[in-house]
Order: sequence, then C-alpha cells, then structure tokens
Amino acid sequence: MARIVGIDLGTTNSLVAYVDSQTGQPKCIPGPTGNTLCPSVVSADTDGTIVVGEPARKRLLTQPERTIYSVKRLMGRGVDDIQQELKLFPFRVDAASGNVIRVRLGERSFTAPEISSFILRELKNWAEAYFGETVDRAVITVPAYFNDAQRQATKDAGRLAGLEVLRLVNEPTAASLAYGLHEKQRGTVAVYDLGGGTFDISILKLISTSDGDIYQVLSTNGDTHLGGDDIDNLLQAFVHEEILQNHQIDFSPHGEIAQELRKDLIALKHDLSERESATLRFPLPNGKTFELELTRGMLDALIRPVVDRTMTPVKRALADAELKPEQMDEVVLVGGTTRTPLIRRTVQDFFGRAPHTELNPDEVVALGAAVQANILDRGVTNMLLLDVTPLSLGIETYGGAVGKIIPRNSPIPASAQEMYTTGVDNQTGIDIHVLQGERELAKDCRSLARFALKVPPAPAGLPRIEVKFLIDANGILQVAAKDVRTGEQQLVEVRPSYGLNDSEIERMLEESIVFAEQDFAERQLIEARTEAESILVATAKALSGEQANAVPANERATIEGAVAALKESTGGQDYKLIRKRIDELNQATQNLAEILMNSAISTALKGKSVGEV
Amino acid sequence: MTPLSARAHVPMVCTSCHERLQGPLVCSSCGKLQSVQDTDYFALFGLPRKLRIEMSGLEQKFLQLSWKLHPDKFVNASEEERELSLRRSSELNDAYRALKDPVARVEYLLAIEGERKEGEKKQQAPPELLEEVFELNESLDELREAKAAGADVAALRARLQAAETNFGEKLAEVDQQMQATAKDWDAAVDSEADEAAQKKITTRLNEHLNRRAYIRNLVVSVAKELEEA
Repeated sequence: MARIVGIDLGTTNSLVAYVDSQTGQPKCIPGPTGNTLCPSVVSADTDGTIVVGEPARKRLLTQPERTIYSVKRLMGRGVDDIQQELKLFPFRVDAASGNVIRVRLGERSFTAPEISSFILRELKNWAEAYFGETVDRAVITVPAYFNDAQRQATKDAGRLAGLEVLRLVNEPTAASLAYGLHEKQRGTVAVYDLGGGTFDISILKLISTSDGDIYQVLSTNGDTHLGGDDIDNLLQAFVHEEILQNHQIDFSPHGEIAQELRKDLIALKHDLSERESATLRFPLPNGKTFELELTRGMLDALIRPVVDRTMTPVKRALADAELKPEQMDEVVLVGGTTRTPLIRRTVQDFFGRAPHTELNPDEVVALGAAVQANILDRGVTNMLLLDVTPLSLGIETYGGAVGKIIPRNSPIPASAQEMYTTGVDNQTGIDIHVLQGERELAKDCRSLARFALKVPPAPAGLPRIEVKFLIDANGILQVAAKDVRTGEQQLVEVRPSYGLNDSEIERMLEESIVFAEQDFAERQLIEARTEAESILVATAKALSGEQANAVPANERATIEGAVAALKESTGGQDYKLIRKRIDELNQATQNLAEILMNSAISTALKGKSVGEV
Repeated sequence: MTPLSARAHVPMVCTSCHERLQGPLVCSSCGKLQSVQDTDYFALFGLPRKLRIEMSGLEQKFLQLSWKLHPDKFVNASEEERELSLRRSSELNDAYRALKDPVARVEYLLAIEGERKEGEKKQQAPPELLEEVFELNESLDELREAKAAGADVAALRARLQAAETNFGEKLAEVDQQMQATAKDWDAAVDSEADEAAQKKITTRLNEHLNRRAYIRNLVVSVAKELEEA
C-alpha cells in the first residue's frame, strides 16, 4: 500500500514529513526550492490558477487582493466569530457568506477548508515528487484546543485535497512523539506550543510497559486565537502609531505598503531573538525614511501581554492533571514563536527547569505527525498514543443551561448516552442542541450541531429514545439514536453549525479537479512567472528612485532591455526561458543594487541583487 | 436482582476462536475484539463490584487494554473491526473515567444497582442544613447588591469566607461518611449479604451522594462570588 505522510497544516507555515524506513527516524520533505517550510499562503490568478507557498507569499506584496495568509484562523468559524480578526487581518469576506465563511481572492471566493486544501495539495505534490509515487493518505495535525467544527473543517480540507485523513493528531502530542523518539524521554512532560496563530499546552505521561511505550495525555488547554500573529499585530500597531505621530501618515492596514512594513517588522522581531537591539529603516511614501531603533527590552514590554495570556491555560492544564509545575520531568518548546527569548525565560522560570529546544521548533510537529503515520501504518508497533478531548461536550437543557455529558480531558474515544422522551402527546420530534465548552449557559458555549430526533406518535412520556454521543480518536463527534421500545436505529445527520455538509464537499471536489491537477511543468511555469513578476516590480521601483540617477545611461538601457526580454518571456509557456531571463536581469541590475546598497535606505537590500528583494 | 455470586460466573467464549475468554473485551488467545453487549465497568476491568479499587492496578489494566482496543491498532482492519474497536475503546475510556474518580465510582455503582437513575441529582437542601443555607443565601444576595451599588464589601467578604470554610468542612465530613459506607458495601459483597442488606447500604450511599452534591454546589458558588468580588 502507498505511503502515509504526516502533515503540519500551520497558520504561518506548513510541512510534510515521513519516516525513513532505513533509519526509523522522521524527516521533513523539501519542496522544489529545497526548503521544507511551505508558507501557508494561497493566491488565485485571473485565469483561476492557484499559487501556493513561497511564490504566493511574494504576491502578498504585489497582489494582496488575490492572496491570503493565516487562513487557519477561519477554519470552522462563523462570520460572527471573526469580527475581531477582521480588524487585524486583511481577510476579504464575501458578503454572500452563509454560515460558512467565504473569502474573496480576486474574482472568486473560497471557503477556509478549500483554501487549506490548496496548501495540502501543494504538500502532497512535494511528497509525490520526492517519492516518485502517489501519496493519498495522511495524518494531519491540529491545535489540541481545536473544537469539533475546526477539526471537521481540517478533515474536509484533507478530503478536498485528495487525501484520506487517517487521523487528526494534536500538535503538542505530535511534538512529544518526535521528542520521545529522539530523546527517549520518560515521566511527565509539559509541551508548550506557541505557533503563528494558536497556543496549546499539553501535559503528558510517558510510560514504558511490556507492550511498548505509551504517550498518555493527561490534560490539555490553550487558546486557538493566540500566537505569533498577535505579536506581529502589536508591533505593527505600535509602529503605525509612531509613523502617524512623527510623519502624519496613516497606514491603512490592508494596503500593499502595510504588508511590506509587516514583512520588515517580522524580520526585525526575528533579529531581536538573536540580538539586543535592531533598527528598522522603512522608506515612506513621502520619500522620507522612517527610522526606529528597537531594543529587546522594548519588544519584551510590548509582547508581555501575549506571553502572560499563555500562562492561564498552562495553570489550568496543570490543575486538571493534578500536578504542580515542579513535578514536571521535562518541558518542551514547540512552534516558531517560542524562539522569542522572553517566552523561553518565562517558561523556564515557571517550571523551574530549562526547556528542551533540541529539535527545530518549526519542524517538530510535522516530524511527530510522520511518527504517528508510521504507527498507524504498523511500521512501528511498540508505541501508542492516548489523547484526550480538550473541551467538555454538553447538551442544551431547559432554560438555556448546558448539561455536561463528556467532561474535558476525557480520554478519547469517549462516549455518553442520554435518554429522551416527549413532553406532549403525539410529539413527533425532539430538538437536540449539542455544544462544546466550559461555560454554564448554552449561549456562551460553542454550538456544534442542532438536530431533531424523529419520534413515532405516542402519548407524552412513553417514547424512549437513547442517543449515543461518541467522540472518536480524531476528537470529532458522532451521534447515533435508538428507539428503545422498537430497537430501531435512527440515522442522525449532524449538521455542523459552521461547517460544510457532504453535498457541498462533493460539489467542491468536482470543481477542484478542473483547476487543481497541475503537472510539474505547469507548476514550475506559475512559480517562474510569479518570481518574474515580483522582480519586475522591484526593478521598476528601484529605477524610479532618486538613487538610480547614479546609473550610467548605457547600463540603464541594458537593464531596460533585460526587463523587456523578461516581460516577453512570461507571456510564453517555457519556464526555463523565464528562469534564464530572470538570471539575466539579476546580472544586469547588480551595479544598481550596489548603488542602492550604499545609499541610506539600502540596508534592507544587503547582499542581494534587486531582483531578490 | 440477581445475587452477586451468580453474576460472577457467566462463562464466555471468543466469538472467533471459541476459546474461553479471560475478560469481556478481547480474546487473549487470538486477539479478536468481542462484541458482547452489556458488560458493566467493573467486569470490564475484571474487578468485583467493590468500591475500594487499587489505583495503580486499575491504571495498569487500563493501559494493557488500551494496547489491544485502541483504534490506532485497527487502521488497516475491516470496517466492522474498526467500528468495534471504536465502540470498545470508548467503553474502556468511559469505564476508566468512572472508576478512577471515587465519587463517580459510587454514582456508577448505584446506577447499575438500580438505586439511582443516571444523572439524577436531588436539589432540595438536607433538612438539618436549612438554616445555615438560608443564611448563606442571604449573605450572597447582600454581597451581590453591595457589589452592584459599589458599596464596601469587606465585612460581607469575611462572613462569606467563614461560610466557605464551614461548608468546606461539611463537605469533608460527608466524604468521610461516604468512605465508611463504601467499606460497609465492600464487606457486604465479601460476605455475600442478602439483597435487603445491600439495598440498605445503597440507599445510604445515595443519600450521601445527594448531600454531597448539594454542599459542593454551595461551596462552588460561594467561591465564585468571592473570586468575582
């Protein structure tokens, strides 16, 4: 049977990994550029072509209205849920969105599972190119604190990408699998996972038994809307304010220039993980340069609220596991955001021990997903993962209260039976409202599904309908009903409150085949065109600047010739020719790049030709 | 009700290889999952229906059975087997959850002994507590009003804190009583006491549970008010 891969479908980056059968160790699969990180960015062309990953990320600057990032924040959510998000992220929600959000990318609009499926399909392509064979089964990771709707949406995305999703694995649990295999850890482990958009904390127990090693999750907690994105937003808001104060320029958060600034700020944030201070130099539309020196102390003060917000879930998870911070044998940091020194220090101080960071925090979740894929494929038979459901499952009862039927942190699969009867004679239906969450009132919990039980006409109180709620090993709810008097089983179709139904998915599957099955050459062509486009934009910009006056006329003519040649080649189908012309233009602009580098605003261009900027 | 002694000796064989089964979930000879209906949680762990359970033994058995039943072990199996694994492993997890917690364990025992409907909770105050509960509710109301009016709540806080301690002690008391009655139950099982004697004990256990639920609710709501004040 074909291989199973492990996929980390992240907010910022996504990765695909497998377990090498020779070494038994998990490994991330590189894409066409040799990088294992695929930016979770999707862009739609005028002709309907979908561009994913690095080329799409470049389009955030050139075609922001056709491009989307951080789509994971929209998975399994309704329009009302994301109002807060809309203030901070350039999501163009289709006004015609029903209970499922649709986002506009140029002329077309897509649901979040569809956009995620494009990312998954890209990773599937990477794996297929790497193995030279079809890959159609995968383990996909989700934040441990994802609710039913968010998990269902992720599973739908897999299906839309042509992948059979064998298991959804919680990200911190996956990370602990990778570490367990790597470090041979035993005892209690806390996994602190701060990614681009989500935060999870999981407390695990690693047990050696005569059958093998068991990874038992004791408790989990988190916040599905807390991550590195929030740090970026704080930084951006801070700098926007500075620019407004000092230069009276208001950066609309959705424009091209704001995206460019955001990109620079993220680079600045990364710099500050390595150094004590860094300087931002950003060219303003009025020709001036905004300069700001930021120290690590300033950054720490700015992001302290985000770091503090992670500690409440940490304390709750420990309380649910009935453990104290000092009782943890190991602490593991996962997610790119944990590179931030303040976070490392905060976690270390809280647990009183140095956290593990040996494995690349960007890759560790994908590596763990690959380990789980290998376990499911029976490649490894001496490891077993026992996970829990992060949120309590409840039923709306009289007066809008919630009756909990499966408490949070129950090991999964888990189930509960409830008996229902009628209140009036000949009542033919009983409405049931299923919720997830810890609050006492239905209106404060997450609505998962509403459905009606069919009841044969009978005097009030006589019917006996037993409803079985079951949370499967993916953390997804299944419902079955049985008429106790007749023994008749009833099929309950759980219509998710914020999800796609089967017929919608079938329709999308049919549509997706039309434009998604691109062969290798076609994808190369798209990538080359995208790169050409961003180089052309950058060159035009450089030539129009003041500093470009220093370029001799004959050199300018050479550059313009190379620009024209590249433009001409992008109209054709030959990606190799486009690549060649890109190289030629890069050659022609070397001197120009140097001139820019020497000028005041040039630090950002250091060591690169114009085309690479 | 069938006497306990008769219940323990139902012979079971594997539906696949017809070997004698050691437990109700999985055949220890051929590893096939069993589709036997209606096993209670105690039987599932191979335990008598007694309330004292040794925790490390329970956990060990839980992990052992998880190896055999978990859906991860059946990904490539037939649909029927996968379905069975899902059902059996969820039962195992539900059982572990119920037996691990001393209060949930008593609740479950009373449910299968027919003493208590699942989820049943009597919300009327135990008569001997009526006066104190009345006072407490008054203090809670006063606190809410004072908070709404922005008045000083220090004195009220102190009164509520005293009440919290008082009811916390009562909770510990009822837990102790429950433990003692649980011992009586285990002794009755060991001595194969008659149905009437068992019934007397389960009735008492049920009273403890209701009393406990009531007091616990009070403690939780006082703690919540204090936290918000």
